[in-house]
Amino acid sequence: MKVLRITPQRCTGCMRCEIACSYEQSGVFQPAKSVIRISPFEAHTSYAPYTCTQCDEAWCMVACPVNAITISPVGAKIILNDLCVGCKLCTIACPYGTMFYDPDTAKATKCNLCGGAPACATACPTQAIEYVEAESADWLGSFAAERAETQLAQQA
Amino acid sequence: MQEELPGGYAGKILRVDLSQNRTWTEAWTAEMCRTCIGGVGLGIKILWDEVPAEVSWDHEDNRLVLATGPLAGLPAWGTGGLTVVTRGALTNGATNTQANGFFGANLKYSGYDAIVLQGRAPEWVYLYIHDDTVELRDASALLGKDTWETQETLEQMLDLTGHQLSVYTSGLAGENQVRFAAIHGDYGHVASKNGCGAVMGNKRLKAVAIVRGSKALRAADPRGLWMAAQEIAEDLQYDPSTRSLYEYGTLPGVSGLSRLGALPIKNYTTNVVPEGVDMSQWTAQGLREGFDHRGHQCNSCGMHHCHAQVLPSGPHQGAIVDEPEYEGWSGAGWAFGCTDPVATSWLNTQVDRACVDVNEFGWLMGWVVECQEKGYVTKEQLGGLTITWGDAEAANALLQMIIRREGFGDVLAEGVKRASETVGGPAAECAIYAMTGNTPRGHDHRARWEEMLDTCTGSGGTLDSGPPVLPTEMGQPARINPFDPDAVARMVGGTRGRRQFEDSLGTCIFTTRTLLSILCRTLSAATGWDFTKDEALLFGRRTAALMRAFNIRCGITPDLERPSKRYGSVPVDGPAQGQDIGAHWEHLLDVWYDMVGYDRQTGKPLPATLEDLGLSHILADLWDAREATHAGT
Ligand code: SF4
Ligand code: SF4
Ligand code: SF4
Repeated sequence: MKVLRITPQRCTGCMRCEIACSYEQSGVFQPAKSVIRISPFEAHTSYAPYTCTQCDEAWCMVACPVNAITISPVGAKIILNDLCVGCKLCTIACPYGTMFYDPDTAKATKCNLCGGAPACATACPTQAIEYVEAESADWLGSFAAERAETQLAQQA
Repeated sequence: MQEELPGGYAGKILRVDLSQNRTWTEAWTAEMCRTCIGGVGLGIKILWDEVPAEVSWDHEDNRLVLATGPLAGLPAWGTGGLTVVTRGALTNGATNTQANGFFGANLKYSGYDAIVLQGRAPEWVYLYIHDDTVELRDASALLGKDTWETQETLEQMLDLTGHQLSVYTSGLAGENQVRFAAIHGDYGHVASKNGCGAVMGNKRLKAVAIVRGSKALRAADPRGLWMAAQEIAEDLQYDPSTRSLYEYGTLPGVSGLSRLGALPIKNYTTNVVPEGVDMSQWTAQGLREGFDHRGHQCNSCGMHHCHAQVLPSGPHQGAIVDEPEYEGWSGAGWAFGCTDPVATSWLNTQVDRACVDVNEFGWLMGWVVECQEKGYVTKEQLGGLTITWGDAEAANALLQMIIRREGFGDVLAEGVKRASETVGGPAAECAIYAMTGNTPRGHDHRARWEEMLDTCTGSGGTLDSGPPVLPTEMGQPARINPFDPDAVARMVGGTRGRRQFEDSLGTCIFTTRTLLSILCRTLSAATGWDFTKDEALLFGRRTAALMRAFNIRCGITPDLERPSKRYGSVPVDGPAQGQDIGAHWEHLLDVWYDMVGYDRQTGKPLPATLEDLGLSHILADLWDAREATHAGT
């Protein structure tokens, strides 16, 4: 399967992925609607993107009381808007905090891998986000382990 | 019903009256979008309409315009742009100065294309903007803080991190109305020219804090916009003229300019790199790889330009600083004889944190060191301080005195022109400045005549045209003999207008170093216009002429259009040794005036020029009827 592989050390925090994501998802440039988000680390010196890993456990699917979450042909967990009742249970269930709630639609919203051509990966100027073949979608574990070594030196 | 606006625009201009604690919005009209675009185009219209001759830079009715443009917040590279337009403290005339970061994007996602500030707050305030919430809030907790501390404090107060909050402030220099105070934001982005930070301080506005808003921006042709953005990105990456800028930003400047005699060394007293300086540290690669670094780019930007870096050695080892621009390596380094990259990098961030223009700072430090060496300024005057060539710690001590206006710092806080005039005697003859008060950028312009001419005739606080980008597109030769006065003046005059167009888009000066035709295509895709290169240049020249008209009204006349004695002197050594721009000065002006269509005697744009540029409506303000018929004949 293909997954979004994220290499945080490459991320400069330019937020272009958020602009691209919001455009792909909604047709307008509105980062507030992006389902990939950039977080800062180490004051203003480091950034990393986070979005749904399409994890195998899929706690969101388990939690959803109305079975509004399903798996798309490209392996993304997607929300069926017609079924979603906006209860937000999935946002609580997701251990990575990558299930969002859109107050304008009153529905949950998340990464759907843009149907197999992720806009964030195309837009990222530094290849911090790539869409690549992988055995498992679960890249967060190794990221956390490597993270400590890659921090920019701390202020003395 | 409100008329439909072109794509790209947020649609509203935010007005703030600090005296009255009142905020309101104004809608654009579609016609205004097309004629003003944004940035400096919008800013100068507001100055012309609302700041009459008697409203000096420190009058509360002065306007401080913080403008973005139609491309800000969109996915072209480098769309966090901020253009500051005001009547500035160094020239008491127009200002056009840019910074990047995230200001432009955050502001537009909150629903505004520009902020226009007027009045003076009774107590220090900061402006808070989040979507429809716009408030002037008590800034007492921020007073005395430098630029980075101000941003950190606001992040804590508002519980926001990263680019969710963009903060622009004028630091302690602004609080004390240092005449060359800048406006700094987002850890390393500075709108530095013409004392715009002093204006902000004069208004008792400590900071502008903009939350990344939740509103949508639309493009008329989004697919066309993505394609144009991609085309710009590829051009910047692969074209030989921009490739090193893409890879290294402005870092190649030091070694490159040193070979042309255009690196300013020790207050223009030499153009030869001192013996023992290891220039391999000063190559682009040396400066980038000499520090642990990480990309810190602006909104939507893919250039390998802005970086955070860590000092590898020295008394401040381990400190996180902002990788200096060429201007920082020069102003916080070479200009006063500092040839140690680590010390320079540290000092450059101190300058940013203090919030003054690094160019003016460099000329000031170079002048002080030379004056102390020659006995024109004594140790006692400097409060017991001795500063020798290259002493970054002493330079920082002076910087701290300047931004607090302590002792001799109060004299230096007026900028190098006024400080040297105050001290007088031979000290007055070794200061680098343009007579208008414009601050030269960080080169030795005695080996870069285009920029000296541009700086001395510029209407915005520094140069107007800048180094030519793809001049053949504007009918100019690709390359000229840099010491041929005719060619130099024709190039500066003939490329006038492009910069003002760029400065109105809401983008960065580096990410617009592509063909004008591609920029027009990008603008058209965003807005739905059919913008052409000719319209872009007409717009730019109109904007430049309006800036010039504003300055004429402010009393800035052509007799001021010359370099100071040292600035216009003859290099005594190095590659440009003996080149004497002064011998050609009047001729340079003659040719330039002819090219741009302004009147050589009065400096005013000629009536015919005003008409060609669509500025007939200001003709009567500049010319009386009798004069107008004779002008230019
Ligand atoms: S918000 Fe929608 S998708 Fe999420 S658990 Fe509730 S019904 Fe299911
Ligand atoms: S586009 Fe890439 S570099 Fe920019 S913020 Fe997103 S992941 Fe980081
Ligand atoms: S080129 Fe540099 S200053 Fe310009 S937008 Fe990109 S990172 Fe920012």
